[in-house]
Amino acid sequence: MTTLPTPTPTPTPTPAASLGATASVTPTAPIAPTAPAIELRRVARWYGNVVAVNDVSFALGVGVTGLLGPNGAGKTTLLHMLAGFLAPSAGEVLVLGRRPHRDPSVYRQIGLVPEREAVYPFLTGLDYVKFNARLQGLRDPEGAARAAVARVGLVDAMDRAIGTYSKGMRQRVKVAGALVHDPQVLLLDEPFNGMDPRQRIGMMELLAELATSGRTILFSSHILEEVEQVGTEILVLVAGRLAASGDFRAIRALMTDRPHNVTIRSSDDRRLAVALMADPAIFAVELTESGLAIQTSQLTAFRRLIAGVSRTAGVRLLEVVPADESLESVFEYLVRR
Amino acid sequence: MNSIAIFGEIVRVTLRQLLGRRRTLLLVLLSALPVLLAVAFRMGGETDIERFTRRIFDTVTLTILLPLVAILFGAGAFGAEIDDGTVVYLLAKPIPRWLVVAAKAFAAVAMSIALTGTSTLVAGLVDLAPAGQDGISAVLAQVVAVVVGSVCYAVLFLTLSLFTRRALVIGIGYMLVWEGALSSILPGIANLSIRQYSIGAASAIYNLSVNRTVLVPADTAFLLSGVLIVAALIIATWKLMRFELPGGSD
Repeated sequence: MTTLPTPTPTPTPTPAASLGATASVTPTAPIAPTAPAIELRRVARWYGNVVAVNDVSFALGVGVTGLLGPNGAGKTTLLHMLAGFLAPSAGEVLVLGRRPHRDPSVYRQIGLVPEREAVYPFLTGLDYVKFNARLQGLRDPEGAARAAVARVGLVDAMDRAIGTYSKGMRQRVKVAGALVHDPQVLLLDEPFNGMDPRQRIGMMELLAELATSGRTILFSSHILEEVEQVGTEILVLVAGRLAASGDFRAIRALMTDRPHNVTIRSSDDRRLAVALMADPAIFAVELTESGLAIQTSQLTAFRRLIAGVSRTAGVRLLEVVPADESLESVFEYLVRR
Repeated sequence: MNSIAIFGEIVRVTLRQLLGRRRTLLLVLLSALPVLLAVAFRMGGETDIERFTRRIFDTVTLTILLPLVAILFGAGAFGAEIDDGTVVYLLAKPIPRWLVVAAKAFAAVAMSIALTGTSTLVAGLVDLAPAGQDGISAVLAQVVAVVVGSVCYAVLFLTLSLFTRRALVIGIGYMLVWEGALSSILPGIANLSIRQYSIGAASAIYNLSVNRTVLVPADTAFLLSGVLIVAALIIATWKLMRFELPGGSD
């Protein structure tokens, strides 16, 4: 086994975004010039010896923000603290300038869509949204409920029992219940779970429309592509820490600076390794039993390069597979920084 | 919308929730048992109030039906919602927690009284009403006993369900061990027995005790029941104000 290491480039943060565990030390600037609707100041939450959220600080104004992170990153814990259902173990959580924990009156301005799928199965969709409207003390619960149901595109099914709904429909009726009182802040935990592509697009458009009308929306997801299509701003949590925050495109650009891992199988791996090492875009080549493990800084350039190099070296390519395209591997990279 | 309307909305949804469970159907069937036994007694020519009270009301209604029904509805009023997470739809609202507790307790108590009270009343009328004024008094006393018992059991175990997911198991243990065995062996713990509160409260009208000994006098029974109910409701409100959702897997 041969390892040919070369120096690894270090991404340089841009003013529009920040990367790394130090993001909480240097808090993200407010997304909008207005006063932040959501603010966390050095917040931590632990359960016994387990730290779920660790020293997280950020501020959010009007707009859509995606909360990204692999499973177990602390996204739900963070959203539950913002929704007032968990007290921070340290630090301060503020929603519209108030601490949400043990303050039910804050729910006049907060809408919450929890991750758990269960919704009262015996109620019809419209009844469920009316139930929310009545508990919010709205003057016209019927009218508000019908408007919210229409907003999520459930009019055709609103008189059916929720127990007969698909997973995607249940998600939408939960969203209708959360926005029936037109809250200033909307918190959604994995809102796209169970939705088909058409429903996802509809929900993404709705969130964008709400943000345009001056609402602050924070939604969690572990799927990068979902966030990419909705949020202009993102927060990335990894193992309870804020690993990156800011403008999505800027962070994405920083992420592409990381070395990409590619696995190659060919007719002569050793000869191909020697040929590849001549190119400066290749950081490391490792001969393994399953083929060549390559580290490169530019995946797109590498894809163009590999065809020419293999042809020149007289090596036939059998397989070229990116080995670290998952979001989790990107996060792991962020955490290691 | 005022507090009464919100109270009514929570009661309405809780009742639908409780009525929609399979176990409720089983409880309805169980509630029919005293009535069926009363009819059997009546058809057999039995009109002895003492025998009826002892054999059916005490052993079936007071010992099994009342605590089982009230504990199931009490523990279930919040318990199921906490288990499946739907409680968040109730709590993420700008309503005072005491109102939520009061509405849930009302729904649980109403369900318990509807089943056990109706069962007791019908069974009593079938067998005891023909016995004249004493029979009517005995029926009224039995209804008072199940009303007092329903409120105490339901509220106590509703409160317990906010602290533990095992409220139902603890409730059945309490019913079988504490009230079924220990309270009859150790008269000293009668003051901590809802069953004895029920018998004591009913004794204001008619002595329902099997051995004619009322361990908790009527006034004491009403007082202790009141203390229990108020304390349980206050503790439940306090606990609900501090209710936390788990962090989840994310």
